[in-house]
Amino acid sequence: MLVFMIIFALVMFSLFLILPLVETILLPITFTIERLVSGVKTGYSLIELFSDPRLFRTYSTTEPVIVAQIGNTTLVNFIGWDFGVIPNTLIIASIVTSITTLLGLVVAFVMARYEFRGKLIMRVIAYIPLLMTPFVNAYVIKKLFSFDGLFSYIINTVLGIPLKINVDRMFGVILTQSMAFWPIIYLNIYSSMMMIDPSLEEQAENLGAKGFKLFRSITLPLSLPGLAAGAAVVFIFSMEDLGGPIAYGFHDVLSYSIYSNIKAAQNIGEVGAYVGALAIVLLALALSIFFGIKKYVSLKQYAMLSRGGRWMPRVRKPGLVGSLIIYLVILPIMLFTAMPQIGVFVTAFSVRWSRAYPEGFTLDHFANILVNPEVLSGLTNSLRYAAMATALIIVLSLSSAYVAARSKLHTLNEVIDLISTSPLAIPGLAIASGYIIMFTSGLFKDTFLDPLSSYGPWLLVVLAYTIRRSPFATRVIYAGLQQIHVAYEEAAMNLGASRLRTLATIIVPLLGLNVLSGALLAFVYSVAETSVSVTIGAVAAGQKPLTAVMLDFLTGGRLAGLQLAAAMAVLIVVTQLLIILVTNIFLKQRYAFIGV
Amino acid sequence: MTRVSLSKVSKKFGNVFAARDVELSISKGELFTLLGPSGCGKTTTLRIIAGFEYPDSGQVFFDEEDVTYTKPYERGTAMVFQNYALWPHMSVFDNIAYGLKIKKLPKEEIRKKVLEVLDLVGLRGLESRYPLQLSGGQQQRVALARALVVEPRVLLLDEPLSNLDAKLRVRMREEIRKIQRTLSITTIYVTHDQEEAMSISDRVAIMNQGKILQVGTPQDIYFRPKNTFVATFIGKSTLLQGTVVRKDADNVLVDIGSEIRVLGKLTGDSPLKEGSRAILVIKPEDFLVEPPQEPHNVIEGVVEFSMFLGSFTQLRMSVANQNLKVFVDPKKEVKPGDRFVVYVKIDDVLVFPRESEGEVLEVA
Repeated sequence: MLVFMIIFALVMFSLFLILPLVETILLPITFTIERLVSGVKTGYSLIELFSDPRLFRTYSTTEPVIVAQIGNTTLVNFIGWDFGVIPNTLIIASIVTSITTLLGLVVAFVMARYEFRGKLIMRVIAYIPLLMTPFVNAYVIKKLFSFDGLFSYIINTVLGIPLKINVDRMFGVILTQSMAFWPIIYLNIYSSMMMIDPSLEEQAENLGAKGFKLFRSITLPLSLPGLAAGAAVVFIFSMEDLGGPIAYGFHDVLSYSIYSNIKAAQNIGEVGAYVGALAIVLLALALSIFFGIKKYVSLKQYAMLSRGGRWMPRVRKPGLVGSLIIYLVILPIMLFTAMPQIGVFVTAFSVRWSRAYPEGFTLDHFANILVNPEVLSGLTNSLRYAAMATALIIVLSLSSAYVAARSKLHTLNEVIDLISTSPLAIPGLAIASGYIIMFTSGLFKDTFLDPLSSYGPWLLVVLAYTIRRSPFATRVIYAGLQQIHVAYEEAAMNLGASRLRTLATIIVPLLGLNVLSGALLAFVYSVAETSVSVTIGAVAAGQKPLTAVMLDFLTGGRLAGLQLAAAMAVLIVVTQLLIILVTNIFLKQRYAFIGV
Repeated sequence: MTRVSLSKVSKKFGNVFAARDVELSISKGELFTLLGPSGCGKTTTLRIIAGFEYPDSGQVFFDEEDVTYTKPYERGTAMVFQNYALWPHMSVFDNIAYGLKIKKLPKEEIRKKVLEVLDLVGLRGLESRYPLQLSGGQQQRVALARALVVEPRVLLLDEPLSNLDAKLRVRMREEIRKIQRTLSITTIYVTHDQEEAMSISDRVAIMNQGKILQVGTPQDIYFRPKNTFVATFIGKSTLLQGTVVRKDADNVLVDIGSEIRVLGKLTGDSPLKEGSRAILVIKPEDFLVEPPQEPHNVIEGVVEFSMFLGSFTQLRMSVANQNLKVFVDPKKEVKPGDRFVVYVKIDDVLVFPRESEGEVLEVA
């Protein structure tokens, strides 16, 4: 039984994660070697990659801030730089990671160490940016920060200052991503801080440390595992984000380049090594961060020494200055970052948004999307794909979690653990590239796995969801398994039960709630998946998942496209909220959001 | 050296008193122990002295200085936590040097002091290790060194040995005592282990439910407990219940049932009078198998259970339907069912008024 689980997990991850990525890497390398050996250019090689001015430039083609004067009104256009695909991606990811780390750290510290009125409400607000409104939130922010958007309206019309601002291109992407991703870092640091044994800080105070010295020498270093994990996740998320670059038309980033080349592939019937070369860069960056952090975090995984003693979190009341900072600085920033999601809801219920803000109330958009054949098809496709993926995820996650928690072969545990958590760090666009490269040619060409064959991409989409979302379930199930003492199983096997019987009669009943929660999470995050959905999932019209349909509505110049997409996002958010509520009630833990 | 005194200190958590009108006066250079069962308020009292909790009422003085509301980082105490609280991200050296760096001592002096204190606790050579690479005993020494190196006004030890194994515990408590004597630093020690308290302390305070029940030298506490709680918490006393038959200046005669009367010593200014309910407390090692010279009681009963424990044999005797715990010479052969006579000096029988049930600790 254990052997079957090991084989199943290894086969799934090899075939649908490792091999496609290896092929992705090999393709441009093969071209490079051929070019170096024979001197003939047979395809896009890494040599082209590093000499391509679209990818690397030493200069920016844009000024970051452009100021213009119309009448007596000053127009300030924040657009950022453009150094080519790879530098742009790294600049955006670095700035977004810095901003979100700073904000996440401050909020986590305040939440973990202070007690004040309205703290609960603020903790809820911090979750709002994590509500999944694929693509739509980027469009909402773009509208809010355009020359005729809400902010310019407030500055110019309400306050009467002759100034209008516009945030666009690179800065728009940075703004959107920073607003969306900071809670990931906040939650990771917060949970690290709550795990610090209070006596570690008390001891420092006892020896004379206070204020910033205490924070810098004790609290911050002990929160580093959470900070590092959160920052790594944000960096990777930023690199693979498509919503910002599409909404702001900032196409010279890795994610958009891969996306547009895969989209082109459906017309010409194959993808060149160019996608592979881009995917290598994306993958190399993500994996080096993943392995770097893995080593670092595990090294610094300070087993928080609790051997008796008191364990009440250290909270105190903020002083006057502290209160002012909390209510006048932190709270407004948090509310600001919640605006996109609030905006999506408002938009979904509004008649139009042609001026500074949405106007009129209507339920028409919901009525319309429920009769629109494209939306209905997208909705049923997504539900079907997610359901199938969830079924596979249960078996896969149970297998890998069980093997990682129970196998006595140490290396095997580590390998399985590493592979099964790696999809968290591997960009979906790299997986999509790998699938396209591996399954549209050679052995798999025209089989039911070939997304460009007459079967369509649905099976591959299901498998991609399975691989990409299995870590959610694996983590919840693994956590549950660690609570179940191995003696329960040994007792059953001692009485003659086989491994399968033990699993069915002891483990699964005890793990029931964890499996259910993990499955629900995997389900909702599958429905909201974007990277594979808008690339591979979009190659056959009738098989598009919901997120691909939403992108069509946003980019297709359709009447009330934004409102209809917002209404679809509301459906996803409501589902997500229900599922998080259910899992929190069942598990009484915050598995739903943390780390992602 | 600093004198520590607490005046009417009270602290409530919800409805529970963690400290109730605590009055303490701890002399310069003294090793003073707060002893009591878990939840009695001893750790809270210590944390009030360290400044991690502020009392609801009452005052804390270091010498003449009122430190009741002084911040913990301005008090000059040094605490050794139950779990040592060694910072996992710092080496042994950095852990110990922390307090000195806060005081902004020159680098050279810090180095010198850290190495000196490492010598004192016998850890020279381990300064570049990290806490997780140390054994429990070594971690304990680092925690102690970190507290000692800052030359605190008062050293606070919160159950410092409770995470060590039995042998190490005995060794460490001897070392702590030795170091404390050498440096003659005012030390407050919290423990629930009475043997530890007896062996290490100049004076002991027994606490229960937030109240100080008795303060005295270990001998005082052991031989002259002031109430049944102290009497039963210290040692393995046996309890007998009965009614006062006669009372004179020093002694009380108590009927424990079945016409058996035991003469005991009156403790303190006891409110006992004829006819009132009383509790007799006798230490099992005070029962003798041969009649002594001094005035004594003769108690006869039936052996119900006998357990050979090496250095002595423990008997459970039934006397007037009550149980008597008796330690006898292990060479004496006693079988269950035997009738058996024991003798106990009048001075070894302590008589207390019968207080509320909650005050009596269940004796195993």
